Amino acid sequence: MSNDKGNEESGEGDEPPSLEGRDAKFGRRPGDRYIRIVRPAAGEFRRRGGHYVATPRVDAPKGGLGRAYQAARRVLFGSRLTSEEEEGERLSKKTGLAILASDNISSSAYATEEAMRVLAIAGAAALALTMPIAIAVCVVLAVVILSESRVIRAYPNGGGSYLVAKDNHGVIPGLIAASALLIDYVLTVAVSTAAGVAAISSFVPAVHEHRVLWSLGLIALLTIGNLRGIREAGVIFAAPTYVYILSLLGLIAYGLFRIVTGDMPAAAVPRDAFQSQGLELLTPLIVLRAFASGSVGLTGSEAIANGVPNFKPPEPRNAVITLVWMGAIFGTLFLGLTYLATSIGIVPDHSEAETVNSMLTRSLVGEDTPFYYVVQISTAVILLLAANTGFSGFPRLASVLADDRFMPRQFAFRGERLAFSFGIIALALVSAAVLAAFEGSVTKLVPLYTIGVFLAFTLSQSGLVRRWWRLRDPGWRLSMVINTFGTVVTGTVLVVVAVTKFTIGAWIVLVVMPVLVGMLYAINRHYRSVQDALTLDRPDEPIPVLKPPVVLIPVARLDRATLQAVAFARSISPTVRAVHIASTAESAAEFARRWRRWTTEVPLDVIESPYRSLLKPLLRYIERIDERDDRPITIVLAEFVPRNWWEWILHSQTALRLKLSLLFRPNTIVIDIPYHTEDTGHGHTPRELEDPPQ
Amino acid sequence: MQLKRILVPLSGTSVDPDVIRVAVSLGKPAKAEVMAIYVIEVRWNLPLDAILEPESERGEGVLDDAVKVAEKAGAHLETELVQAREAAAAIIDTARDRKADLIVLGMPFRRRLGRVYVGKTVQSVYVGAHCAVLAYRQEETR
Repeated sequence: MSNDKGNEESGEGDEPPSLEGRDAKFGRRPGDRYIRIVRPAAGEFRRRGGHYVATPRVDAPKGGLGRAYQAARRVLFGSRLTSEEEEGERLSKKTGLAILASDNISSSAYATEEAMRVLAIAGAAALALTMPIAIAVCVVLAVVILSESRVIRAYPNGGGSYLVAKDNHGVIPGLIAASALLIDYVLTVAVSTAAGVAAISSFVPAVHEHRVLWSLGLIALLTIGNLRGIREAGVIFAAPTYVYILSLLGLIAYGLFRIVTGDMPAAAVPRDAFQSQGLELLTPLIVLRAFASGSVGLTGSEAIANGVPNFKPPEPRNAVITLVWMGAIFGTLFLGLTYLATSIGIVPDHSEAETVNSMLTRSLVGEDTPFYYVVQISTAVILLLAANTGFSGFPRLASVLADDRFMPRQFAFRGERLAFSFGIIALALVSAAVLAAFEGSVTKLVPLYTIGVFLAFTLSQSGLVRRWWRLRDPGWRLSMVINTFGTVVTGTVLVVVAVTKFTIGAWIVLVVMPVLVGMLYAINRHYRSVQDALTLDRPDEPIPVLKPPVVLIPVARLDRATLQAVAFARSISPTVRAVHIASTAESAAEFARRWRRWTTEVPLDVIESPYRSLLKPLLRYIERIDERDDRPITIVLAEFVPRNWWEWILHSQTALRLKLSLLFRPNTIVIDIPYHTEDTGHGHTPRELEDPPQ
Repeated sequence: MQLKRILVPLSGTSVDPDVIRVAVSLGKPAKAEVMAIYVIEVRWNLPLDAILEPESERGEGVLDDAVKVAEKAGAHLETELVQAREAAAAIIDTARDRKADLIVLGMPFRRRLGRVYVGKTVQSVYVGAHCAVLAYRQEETR
């Protein structure tokens, strides 16, 4: 016969509550004692390394509605991933290139054209300068890549320009760099989505009419892809990126082959070509503006430095290799396309109806060939996917800022799929709002673009200059020369872009940026003050011994809920007082009489409120009591909780309103004593306690 | 025999999933309750109620895996984690305490010099159990 010894109901008595109980049993034979380990939470919590681990069952929904919602989430976002699975979610170099470099690589679709458009103002002859400008842009890109590779090695935890600027220039320049990048990421999403939709509308004109809706739909699609996790997003985006790269490389190889073999094709003519004489003289400013416009090809190169932790280990090495691949691919495509366009004699379309790349492809392979469509469609797709660089850069940078307490902590939390869900959703909402505000027009959005990235580049490169000067590592002189050159070049581009685009929209960015910096700084100040208030002075700080609190129980009625609240209040303190607000002198006297009959152990104050207001007299009463006592004041609220959610509307929710009123009151503890109808076991609503017999 | 409760002692060996599946298939026709037990054997130099973290973790792991196997086989599995000096005594007493009609246990065995050796827990349960005992034989891999 076995009989129970010990406490069957684990967790009761003087023992602190635990998820596990131990129940000693006696066996059949003398000495056959054994211990039954009672695990009421078995299946929900598992022991591991001295602590409990919550199993998926803990998060499993209980109701049918909850299960349906969960199933829909699984279909949309995929199944949840544990923190240990993060390594598996990291990017390989191939997916990293597709996901983090698509913005930069896609710039090759329009960088040549942007430079040509500015030069064409000075006449067709000025287009001969496109190739030297493209070479200059590639030289700057090489400098930027060299500099970014040093950033990656020096700052392997990501953050890029923000961390470099903060570490070497101070907090405010760091925040300027961060704000610039955050704005640029938002604009990357807006511009790329709008450009992608514009590319689609070239094939399907009906799309143009509802381009804002199409753009918003595409942002929603990108959001879902990114919420599914970065690796899956990489898988989705890898194929179109590689199709674009291969088709463009094929086009360049074919074009070079034709030129080398003397088979120079005739240049396709646009519908509205720039005039060959030109409208302005070729001045150094025009050349600088052309260089600035061609420098859009530099955007997106910071995404890899910011996203180093997204890579598989060894993260810095993989990031640097991907960065070099990105530069080499962009450089090859940009120089190849520019060389072919200038050699064949392509002139940009004044009305922007056809892109230079389209005309070049048309000149080389013909208008209605399958290859022409492959190039055009893959260009449209990669432009759309370039928006994804914003989705990988913004949440990562926001998480770094949140870790440094410059952004709300929610930005540092990883969602069920290990993605920074909050940052992804915030980016989607802001970029959708920007896109809608600018009516989905690329022309209106472009002037806002690129300032941020050049400002961030300038700050990070000048930051590295200071770093080399300060640390004087081996080879610091060469590094300093490279970064000084980079600072001068990107700084010049920044000034040129800001000046030439100021009146057509760049001013918006220059206004928003300081506001954002101010916001980030204010957030940090708040967190610092909270930390100062919460941090323990010593790690072995003794637990203070408090006097029992003064307990006040606001009572509306004398019922079971009140009874339970009074019982609880007396269990935590001997100093308990009830308070009742009555609307008339008669009801005040009647309540006081009934209370006295019920108990004399708990004193009651009755306040008559002739204007029937409830909360204000009660709050003022609490204030006055609090003034007279230095002990923390504790308000015990009896709250009736109905069985069904819809029954809430049948009750006045006074306790809830009082709780909200007291939430921000200092030195006040509010304890809610919920009264469920099931508590009685009778299943009926609490009724007023009957008067005791006379 | 009308089965109402089946007790399945588990040891964390490769035979466990098969034993669970056998117990579930035996219990299904009569809708018998199936309960798995894992016994942590406590050395004599430790108090019986000592908190043995690694052993408890392993036991919980074995039982959780068993629950999954049972769920796949379409049955609910109750589990029990026990600490005892000798596994056999705890199994026998739990079977009696829970009024089990059948104990299904895995019987890893070894051949040595042409003879078959089974563990002492299996032998003791065979001899001491108040109810029917079914052993699922599986040769131990070296």
